[in-house]
Amino acid sequence: MHSRVDQFMETAREEMNNERTQMFLKLFCSGFSMMRQFALSSFPDPEAAESYSRSIRAEVLERLPELLEEFEKKAISRGVKVIWARDAAEANNIILDIARQKGVQYVTKGKSMITEEIGLNEHLIKNGVDVYETDLGEVITQQLGLPPFHLVGPAINVPPEKISDIFLKNGILKEPTTDPVALGKAARMYLREKFRTQEMGIVGVNMAVAETGSFINVENEGNIRMNKSSPKTLVAIMSLEKLVPTLADAIHMTRILIRNCTGQKMTSYVSFDTGPKKPDELDGPEDVYVVILDNGRSEIYKDLKVRDILKCIRCGACMNTCPVYARIGGYPYGFTYTGPMGQAINPLLWGIENTTDLYRACTLCGSCRKTCPAGVDHPFLFLEYRSREIRKKNAKGNRTLLSRLENTIAAISSFGMRQGRAWILGVRCVRPLLNFLSKDGYIRDIPFGVQGWFGCRDLTAMPDKTFHERWKDLQNEPVPLADTAKKDVI
Amino acid sequence: MSMQAREEILGRLKSVRKNTPAARPAKPVLSEINLDKEQLLQRFTSELNAQTGAVYQAKDKEDAVRILSEIASAEGLKSILATSGHIYGVDIRAFGSQNNISVSTVQDFSDRNAFRELAFAVDAGITSADFAVAETGTLGVIFYKDQPRLVSIAPPVHIAIVPVDKLYPVYENVIEQVFKDTNKIPSQFCFITGPSSTTDIKGVHFKGMHGPVKIFVIFIMTGGIGHENSDGPGKTMVR
Repeated sequence: MHSRVDQFMETAREEMNNERTQMFLKLFCSGFSMMRQFALSSFPDPEAAESYSRSIRAEVLERLPELLEEFEKKAISRGVKVIWARDAAEANNIILDIARQKGVQYVTKGKSMITEEIGLNEHLIKNGVDVYETDLGEVITQQLGLPPFHLVGPAINVPPEKISDIFLKNGILKEPTTDPVALGKAARMYLREKFRTQEMGIVGVNMAVAETGSFINVENEGNIRMNKSSPKTLVAIMSLEKLVPTLADAIHMTRILIRNCTGQKMTSYVSFDTGPKKPDELDGPEDVYVVILDNGRSEIYKDLKVRDILKCIRCGACMNTCPVYARIGGYPYGFTYTGPMGQAINPLLWGIENTTDLYRACTLCGSCRKTCPAGVDHPFLFLEYRSREIRKKNAKGNRTLLSRLENTIAAISSFGMRQGRAWILGVRCVRPLLNFLSKDGYIRDIPFGVQGWFGCRDLTAMPDKTFHERWKDLQNEPVPLADTAKKDVI
Repeated sequence: MSMQAREEILGRLKSVRKNTPAARPAKPVLSEINLDKEQLLQRFTSELNAQTGAVYQAKDKEDAVRILSEIASAEGLKSILATSGHIYGVDIRAFGSQNNISVSTVQDFSDRNAFRELAFAVDAGITSADFAVAETGTLGVIFYKDQPRLVSIAPPVHIAIVPVDKLYPVYENVIEQVFKDTNKIPSQFCFITGPSSTTDIKGVHFKGMHGPVKIFVIFIMTGGIGHENSDGPGKTMVR
């Protein structure tokens, strides 16, 4: 998928002025969070359930190489063809080669973020293989050329009028309608024809079970089951962190994923695939390929400070609770992954230096960390990215006038904080200087290159005296004595 | 190329010093395992009803045919595809002839494409279910020669017949049985909970996106509830 992460600020401003987006976000984020809370309350002890899921993800990270090898061994023993891909280009070519070997004209796809990450659709289409998205939201975003607005509902904000127009234009709809159900049914009829004749399906993977070599898909629409039932060839693509050690872990993670993702207790379908169909079965794939994709993750894994992002199970709960996402929606993130999860992973995929606006668009409120059922500490990652960016900017040879100024101020502050007298002296000097710039009790701007800080906030004017000065004065004031005449005074 | 990629990727992952994973906390308790027979059935029914699925209790096989006829009449079914002529003893062909419904069974087909064509053309699919799970009103279906995948996903109506002794409290009870014999692990196993659905346009929820629009579950009530009649495999693994 083409990245627009560099247009974060611009798109965020547009979305904040978009009335429809704002109205939608108000309902959507609070509604999703309430549904999630309700679904989690079905656990006898929701905290224990989330604590257990966090421990599973932490264990997966520690045991990742061994679990991958175990999964591969078991999957191969079941007849699955396991293929490893270093990067997007390699994965795209592997899948294109399979499509060419099988001589298919088109493929149908279940919703898969990893295929969006690697731009699989564009690659296949460019090379003569048509791609039909089959998840309703993905059908709409594919046809309109939009990025995902939300992980669960990528097109949930798109006006029905717009969907009607594009469906009419592409022959999916015969008469215009703005009824969501009628639009959905039109897509159903259109895609049934594709499912009825398809020869190759592509799906993502929610979990891969090391214990059995099975892979699991969780869905409501039934399009993934169609893709895993109707064609002769099935390609499942997974990023390498999608493992769980055992089936028992998979079941627990399924409960957690669904509650956090859609606010349901269970989705319509959870399917477990362990190898291709048996020779006497009438349907199901004769060939099953599992593509295990790295695309930078093994390098992230080596980076111990940030590798916790690999715990992410893509439930999307973090974005529903994020105050920034709740104001700007999914488009500004400019890539497959939106919300705090996108702010955490996109910098590692696209470079910390290219994504500064992403990880700086955070109030560090910690709501995402608190919500995350996988144990990702998003604010810690954002601080780490900010720190790395600054350290890189301040490295010798990279310094600008602003970074020199920042360094000087930091050095003076650091000196002052270590020397009590110097600090008090410094504060005494700076206070009147700052107050000189105040108006009506607020400082709204100061020169010397820090205007940006005041872009969205004011500073209250400094009190005339510091705490130390007031304390000293208080010592000199007489202590009021208790009025012994009043009995209720202690 | 893939082997080289594999070695490179695993090499990078293995180059990281491995720590011993922290001990896990106690496995969360699941309240459903304490439900009795009636409560399990009630729970299954209310959960599936919440997903717009209908649940029937057939006294015996003949009663199941009567219920099937009721459903067929209400839904206006003209053609069905069944996984067998007899599902848990329920005579599907007799039901078809009584109601003037064209019945095809999986055993009628040896050609994959012909089978697929019919699966997308019929009004309803009738299948057995290997398990029912009270936790969320869920069916557990093992796919194999006599239970192809498309019968329960391609037609607009799915009717599942399941003996009540296959009703278990939680998913773990089922998964342990499906995967316990490593030589008999099915190519696909699926949990089905209600009809297919979506909320992808404006958040408006509706049933019947790609799979069935409606689902009906008929319990054959002869026999007890599974976990009480069996050794209760799940009881040892579910806290």
